[in-house]
Amino acid sequence: MSQPTQTDRPRAAALYESAKKIYPREIDGRFAKLSKLATYSLLGLFYIVPWLMWDDRQAFLFDLPARKFYLLGLTLWPQDFIYLAWLLMMAAFALFFFTALGGRLWCGFACPQTVWTEAFIWMEQWTEGTRSQRMKLDKAPWTWNKLRRKGSKQLLWIAFSLWTGFTFVGYFMPIRQLGVDILALNVGGWTLFWGLFYGFATYGNAGYMREQVCKYMCPYARFQSAMFDHDTLIISYDEQRGEPRGGRKRSADRKAEGLGDCIDCHLCVQVCPTGIDIRDGLQYDCIACAACIDACDSVMDKMDYPRGLVRYTTERSMQGEKTRVLRPRMFVYATLLTVLMTALITSMATRTPIMLDVIRDRNALYRELPGGLIENIYTVKVINQSNDARDFHLSVDGVPGLTLDGVADKFTVKGGAVLSLPVRARTDRKNAYGIMNITFSVTAADDTGVSVTEDSRFLGPTT
Amino acid sequence: MIQEKYRGARQWSRNKQAVATVIWISFLAASVATMVFFALFDPVELLATVDIDVGRQSGYAIGFFFFWIISAGCSAITAWLVRTAPKRDQLNQ
Repeated sequence: MSQPTQTDRPRAAALYESAKKIYPREIDGRFAKLSKLATYSLLGLFYIVPWLMWDDRQAFLFDLPARKFYLLGLTLWPQDFIYLAWLLMMAAFALFFFTALGGRLWCGFACPQTVWTEAFIWMEQWTEGTRSQRMKLDKAPWTWNKLRRKGSKQLLWIAFSLWTGFTFVGYFMPIRQLGVDILALNVGGWTLFWGLFYGFATYGNAGYMREQVCKYMCPYARFQSAMFDHDTLIISYDEQRGEPRGGRKRSADRKAEGLGDCIDCHLCVQVCPTGIDIRDGLQYDCIACAACIDACDSVMDKMDYPRGLVRYTTERSMQGEKTRVLRPRMFVYATLLTVLMTALITSMATRTPIMLDVIRDRNALYRELPGGLIENIYTVKVINQSNDARDFHLSVDGVPGLTLDGVADKFTVKGGAVLSLPVRARTDRKNAYGIMNITFSVTAADDTGVSVTEDSRFLGPTT
Repeated sequence: MIQEKYRGARQWSRNKQAVATVIWISFLAASVATMVFFALFDPVELLATVDIDVGRQSGYAIGFFFFWIISAGCSAITAWLVRTAPKRDQLNQ
């Protein structure tokens, strides 16, 4: 093919225009509707979720100051970090799976960069108008009208960014309280900083950097091609059908004129948010938003040509073969994903909602008490990971006649709390010799199945 | 060529690309490092060992910026070395 390669194309273009702003043209169609739906639901989720309540607390709260994560009825502790790592791994494999299957679906419809950019472009359209109006406005001298339009765009952008920053912080501290604090001008320095930081990042990324983030800064955009094969969905221009391209009258007989179906209207280029020409072939700048499909279909409709000159297809299907959806790669990704998910769910479902931590007092080896008793001192921490208060028994095992002092037979730990108990373990001198292994266990009073153990040591005299 | 009129998607200069990429990728690395590190260590307990008491929120922030500076410095030097390395002789490739 005579099309320029990816590496020399940008350089060649840079010779002509070094910094040309992209004005994506507005377009309606099947995929524009889908993209709108994705933007509404994803942004909707982001802005609404922190306001949801579960009993009397926030349903989703990553309480960093208290080092506890609340997810609906679940409370996660730093010790549960493995679940987060696990979730991230599942997210990665899900991304691989969907990339192999549907190409850059993530980039075109679900990536925060795309979604927020879309929202920012809407605001731009409301205030500055259509593509041609925006281009004209940018060239025009500063008038009252330009000031008003640009000013209101900035106002909308900044307000939206600030709200975004506020929402972001609201995932890490109770958002309702945060709102009250902000109204009372009583916010902590770091809270304010992170809110502004996130807000500013949104403003810069979605308002100004836009497609440059995908082109220059996104690692996924560069390595996604590794997950592509001949059966992956791509957006492609049907060169055989389209070429030779050229303008013509609607009534003209294209076959007689020796023309293909492409009327060279450049609509597909104008709607492209990354400013590429899909007719140049598959390019890594393409985020697969499908705006060009909508644009081309609308033109094909007008010309009374069949739709799909630019369409979702696969390389195999472009070569006239049948696309295989079920292929080994898909099974590997799907199996890994299923295994990871099953393991996560099993592990979370069978999680014992208590933790026990035993620290031996290091200041003394042991104490001899009157009456021929040997005593060791421990700090026992019982963590109740469930949300409700619960009664527990503490016991110890491993040395004959070992008894615990300083702890009631049954004690209560509040939901999500840590109870620290100074515990003295004693036994008769004749039973204690040297270093002995012992095991503490804590058991829920209402369910003996809920129990954890922790090993420690009991020291006695060696003479 | 008429296409060039439409095509000229704005290009970033190589310096701008390098700076943006270094900042962004080191930000991601620092975020992951911060998450793993503070899941294992409580900043309050950690800072108490060196007799600093600044609170948990500041602890997290200090940790995050520490990781960000380290990874940004590392990325920046790598990018600079790669870009300024002597080119292989085109003829002897």
